[in-house]
Amino acid sequence: MDIRNNLIKCFAALALGLAGCEDKLLNPTPESVLTANNFYKTANDINQAVLGIYNNLQNRRASDYLLMEVPGDNLYMSTNTTIAGSNDVDFLTLNSDNALTAAFWNTTYNGIFRANSVLLNIDNPVNYAAGAKDQYIGEAKFMRALYYFDLVRIFGGVPKVTEKISISEAAALPKSSEEEIYAQIIADLTDAAAKLPLRNAIATGRASRGAAVGLLGKVYVYRKDYANAKTQFERLIKDFDYALVNDFASLWQLGTEDNSEILFTVKYIDGTNGHSLSTNYAPNGGIVGVTDRGAETSLPSWSLMKKYEEGDKRKAATIQEWWVSPAQPNAPAIWYPYVSKYAVKHSYGASGIDIPVLRFADAVLLYAETLNALGDKPGALTQLNRVRQRAFGNATHNYKGTEAADLMDLILLERQLELAYENERWFDLVRTGKFLSVMKQEERLYNYASKTPVVVNLSPQPFMSVYPIPQAQIDLSSGLKQNNGY
Amino acid sequence: MNRLNFYKKWTLPQWRLPMLLLAMLLTFTGRAQDAGEVSGIVVDSVGNVSLPGVSVVIKGTSKGVSTDADGKYRIQAGAGDVLTFSFIGYEKSEVPVGSKSVINVTLRQNNTVLDELVVVGYGAIKKSSVTAAVSKVENTVLDQIPVGRPESVLAGRLAGVNVSQTNTSPGSAPLIRIRGASSIDAGNDPLVVIDGFPGGSLGSISTNDIESIEVLKDASAAAIYGSRGAGGVIIVTTKKGKSGKAKFNFNAYAGVASPKKHGDWLVGQEYYDYAVRYQNREYAWIGGDPTLPVWNDPRRPNAYQVSDVLKNGNNVVWEDEVLGSATVQNYNLSVGGGTDHVRYYVSGTLKDEQGTLKNTWYKNYGVRANVDVTVNSVVSLGFMLNPSYSKRRFASTDINNYIKFPSFVAVQNPDGTYPNSRSYWGAVVSGQANPMATLEGSHYYGTTVNNLGEAFLNLNLAKGLSLRSSISTNLASNQTDRFQASWAQSTNLNSGSLAQSNSYSIANENVLSYNKTFKEVHTLSAIAGASYQKFNSNNSNMAAVNGSFNNDIVRTLNNAIINPSATNSTRSQWGLISYFSRVNYGFKDKYLLSASIRTDGSSRFGPENKWGYFPSASVAWRVSQEEFMKSLSAVSELKLRASYGATGNFNIGDFEYLGQIGDVYYAPNNTLTKGQTQVSYGNNSLSWEKTSSYDVGLELGLFRNRISVVLDYYDKKTNGLLYNVSIPSITGFTSSLSNVGTVRNKGFEVELTTKNLVGAFKWETSFNMAKNVNTVEDLGGVQERITTDTYGMGWILRLGQPMFSYYGYKIAGVLQNQEEVNNSPVLSGSKPGNPRYQDVDGDGKITSADKVILGNFQPKAYFGLINNFAWKSFDLSIAMQASVGAKIYNFENEYYEGALLGAMRRPLVERQWWSQSETGDGMTPGSSLSQLTYQSSSDAYIEDASFLAVRNINLGYTLPLDLVQKAHLSNFRIYASLANPFMFTKKEFHGYNPEGYTGGEIAGTGSKPGFNNGAAPINRVYTLGINFNF
Repeated sequence: MDIRNNLIKCFAALALGLAGCEDKLLNPTPESVLTANNFYKTANDINQAVLGIYNNLQNRRASDYLLMEVPGDNLYMSTNTTIAGSNDVDFLTLNSDNALTAAFWNTTYNGIFRANSVLLNIDNPVNYAAGAKDQYIGEAKFMRALYYFDLVRIFGGVPKVTEKISISEAAALPKSSEEEIYAQIIADLTDAAAKLPLRNAIATGRASRGAAVGLLGKVYVYRKDYANAKTQFERLIKDFDYALVNDFASLWQLGTEDNSEILFTVKYIDGTNGHSLSTNYAPNGGIVGVTDRGAETSLPSWSLMKKYEEGDKRKAATIQEWWVSPAQPNAPAIWYPYVSKYAVKHSYGASGIDIPVLRFADAVLLYAETLNALGDKPGALTQLNRVRQRAFGNATHNYKGTEAADLMDLILLERQLELAYENERWFDLVRTGKFLSVMKQEERLYNYASKTPVVVNLSPQPFMSVYPIPQAQIDLSSGLKQNNGY
Repeated sequence: MNRLNFYKKWTLPQWRLPMLLLAMLLTFTGRAQDAGEVSGIVVDSVGNVSLPGVSVVIKGTSKGVSTDADGKYRIQAGAGDVLTFSFIGYEKSEVPVGSKSVINVTLRQNNTVLDELVVVGYGAIKKSSVTAAVSKVENTVLDQIPVGRPESVLAGRLAGVNVSQTNTSPGSAPLIRIRGASSIDAGNDPLVVIDGFPGGSLGSISTNDIESIEVLKDASAAAIYGSRGAGGVIIVTTKKGKSGKAKFNFNAYAGVASPKKHGDWLVGQEYYDYAVRYQNREYAWIGGDPTLPVWNDPRRPNAYQVSDVLKNGNNVVWEDEVLGSATVQNYNLSVGGGTDHVRYYVSGTLKDEQGTLKNTWYKNYGVRANVDVTVNSVVSLGFMLNPSYSKRRFASTDINNYIKFPSFVAVQNPDGTYPNSRSYWGAVVSGQANPMATLEGSHYYGTTVNNLGEAFLNLNLAKGLSLRSSISTNLASNQTDRFQASWAQSTNLNSGSLAQSNSYSIANENVLSYNKTFKEVHTLSAIAGASYQKFNSNNSNMAAVNGSFNNDIVRTLNNAIINPSATNSTRSQWGLISYFSRVNYGFKDKYLLSASIRTDGSSRFGPENKWGYFPSASVAWRVSQEEFMKSLSAVSELKLRASYGATGNFNIGDFEYLGQIGDVYYAPNNTLTKGQTQVSYGNNSLSWEKTSSYDVGLELGLFRNRISVVLDYYDKKTNGLLYNVSIPSITGFTSSLSNVGTVRNKGFEVELTTKNLVGAFKWETSFNMAKNVNTVEDLGGVQERITTDTYGMGWILRLGQPMFSYYGYKIAGVLQNQEEVNNSPVLSGSKPGNPRYQDVDGDGKITSADKVILGNFQPKAYFGLINNFAWKSFDLSIAMQASVGAKIYNFENEYYEGALLGAMRRPLVERQWWSQSETGDGMTPGSSLSQLTYQSSSDAYIEDASFLAVRNINLGYTLPLDLVQKAHLSNFRIYASLANPFMFTKKEFHGYNPEGYTGGEIAGTGSKPGFNNGAAPINRVYTLGINFNF
């Protein structure tokens, strides 16, 4: 029996030895993932985390048109590719189950989480290079302000989150008022404008001081706080080196996408870090020299197309009316208008053309609007004509100020023509209240042979100035209430 | 020193004994060689009919013969020999030869099959002593059924085990669900235990090597596998060598698979006419005038014209071009044998299955070696090795993308290039690549190298007490190579990628077993064990920048530029520690009791909840053993049993309880730059998903078990679902993996086995059915959760309903004209021809409040029926399977029911609303891509996928023994097997395969089970096979 006892002892020892491995077996250290516990320790970690904030916007930006252009009169959904929820946006019949608003809400709050994480962990590292800490704070605050600006424009008042919150806290948090959100935006941008470096001292595609100043001015315009807006725009024009480029079309070309007109843009690289917008706007049959195939999610409306005057160079860089397929590049062009603003040669679904967020032309027109609102009509006209003169290449189309009873109408029209498909039109219509009249009718597909457009009648209502809060979020929260009218 | 001496003392005498035995054996065989001839006939005790195929062996040797078709045998045997007569289903008979030269034997049928052993976790017990719901399948003809993987042969054979072939392409694994699905995020696959190794893959094992498959269905049986038993447990036992002369077995079959096609496509004028209807309808919908000429009239926009090439085209039916007959072949050679000390089983399998879809195939080469060594009465050991290699070529996309192609495009140009629609019609139409180009120019391969190995040591420590300790490893390497030539895709850019994963899993299991019978009435068996398992994996991915391959000749990535953002490698791991114990107690074989407990610690869970406990208990009462039952001679077996058990599920990703940081990219200064961000919320209290279940069963045998019935009722509840519960996204995240929610599966199972005819003509039937009711009972505070796909169909988790039911609008009719549109509740933007929906809440509008549950992908009940016939040397087996109540969201219909550049199927176009004058059957809306959103969120594509299938017919003929022996063989059988000969589905079902869907089953909250967009056809497989031993 001794041998048996010995064997038992051997096995007991073996079992004990294995039990010693228990900790190793049950608590392995992840080899390929960092965790929230061991990240945010160095300056480089913070830099990486800041890039993470931009990444969120980069992902979202290419589909912003679905909520920001489709409801307006520049664009309508094609039947070629169906995107859930887009028809309701297009026909102004949005309800709280909409998939697009839900996605926008989720993504944007994730962006805010990323910005908050940087700001909450900013004091952990001690090895910052000179100025780097301020830069990261400025970038995070700029991005957080931008996210809230998008949220408040889409949904009105939303929950204000600037800390890491638990699930139970989140489930009880009510909406803050629009005023409170704007106050947060203005505070963030003011600090960002103080801390960020100038555009030449930071990589393109990252926020710079000019971006913060310009966005702050824009926010003041949305608040109708024209005095403060004026201060910011004057500062932007005086203290910085932004300028309108001579050739409007060059803004939308890969070689010149970084230029003196860019205050803030979202950068992309063809193939490896691209976006789907160029493909989405391209006709199903592709475009010669651009892509062999398009997704054709949406098409330019006749409402916009008809407004471009003869000689306006922006038209050709915004909408192409005559289409040539890559399959038969030598065949005669056919009438098939498509949005061409982002039509650069690209890999399918991964275009490298940047999508600007804030251009100097936008700031100039907002400055015109500000001056006009403050009663300085000649000043406003000067600014408006800067943009117009660039568009036509000469001064012959400059406004004299007598073309319309209200100069604001001309400024708005110029904004539509200049900033078409840059996600400004719907917000411009909403903040001026004009969507109630303008959006009653939209002229969509134009029949070139019969010279008649398809007219769609819509019924915009005052409550539609903000979109419904996603129902799924209301269901998960005791504090979140639906917007009026939905 | 002391110990060494002891070993010496102990080894010598122990070794002497086997030597002696060997010597004796040799003498025996020597003597038998110069013996005389013995012959006779073997008959059945009941009908006195002769029994063919009875094995007649000289006891203690491997020498033996089988009886021929008339039950006769002839064997050389000496006077000292003992002949053993054995036959399945009969009691063994032993007759000393003595001076007899004619020995006629009458075999009695087994009164019971109760002494059959059933493998349960960590041991085997007598079938009569089983207290839980366990099903067993023995491999009698399973290896002769021409299916790709071993689990497929189980279809329809076990009650409560639903084996469905959701993907029929070569090498695809079927889906196995035991008593319904209950988990949302952690998977519902059963645990596969191969020869004791938990977590094996059935794909790596050859059906030829399988001895038996046991399925532990209820939690009291599966609880011994604790944390991994929630999906049920499938235990595979492979063949072992038996002592005796080497026995070779060769099994081979070869045949042809042919796809079951639709065959209802439109071509030529008919196709053109529908295309014109289609375009006119489209044009009218946008306000155009459909009376304008359809071709070459500038007033009609290009996008609404119809080219004449449609009627003057090639009339290609793409289904016929891409699908065709394909060969299947399978060869296995095995040899088993050994001595009393060393027994071996070695086998090699070669399989080659060509796909019925062009350029798809599956090849598998596998080897198995099982070796057992009995060193002495105390020590035995052994090992098992099972390396296998398989490679498959698979299509780059689902089959609908090939067969939907328009018929006017030729398959190939005379110059070898491939035309597409634009080649005929110009740039207006889509540039989708020619399907044959895609099939020829896509080189997608998946390669798997796998080796499951085990070494074990068994010690008989005392009488009834033994310790088994094993170390097993599973090494797996998977590689996926993809290359697509530029001409194979519409982007016109070549592409390529390589994904590799290597893993090793090592398990150490130590089990102490004790068996004892006290005072002849108390039987006790107990086990206690500890198990340690570690799993390590590493994955790497590489991809080419699209379009960067220099040519189509070199298809590896060295011919391209690597895309850095698609290139990475990662490592991961998990560990599991378990301690378990089980006690089985029986009193007079009448009252049976079993209880077990297992505790598992897993690295996958949060520090607060790493350990879980999984108890079980079951009791059984063999009523038939009671005195008062003895008088009821009709009842040969009656057993009542009841059980409770808890099992767990840990099948989530590694380290998911941690808030993980992931890589993201951005492009400052136009330079691809890596950033990082937190990608999951983290949950330190993450723990097991726990299933507790009750089972009551009845086992009844009548008329000496001519009829046997097994009934089971179960109720299992899965609590603390591991599921990505929605959280307010203002936290930064939309979901967090948590333990909330409850899903319940209730149901019953019937297994009925009858020996309808015994005697010369034998007929055995086994029937099974299972009904399962799946219900969501708790979702962590919310009433429902809906996943909506791109086109609007919803999959809902709603309290009181089965998981992932379809959720959408119900069609009440078709809007016939504008007036009806104006006066009906409609979806905004609806036009004549769109569906009219039921306004469920009656508010005069169609809103999301009008959505209702439209069915579920899970069958309500499923059935199996196996009939076995035998007459003389012929045997016939017919396996049937049926499923009732499953619904499929057959989205692929969309492609075939009218599209300008699509193939059209007659049954799908002729019922539609085409115009106000051609309104179809009044229930089928006008369907086109442009109208998808108006109908895809409804029951328009939901079809009843109930079916009745004859899965297999196997006809075999065993050659007469004397003939066989002349060829020095011991058995020779030829067989013909026919897989999937008949399949009956509902008329409304339009898919290829009622079990087929392409959107995956339940795998997380965003699951869309039942979504079908191009499931491949079922193949009818005709094979001929031979099987012989020597």
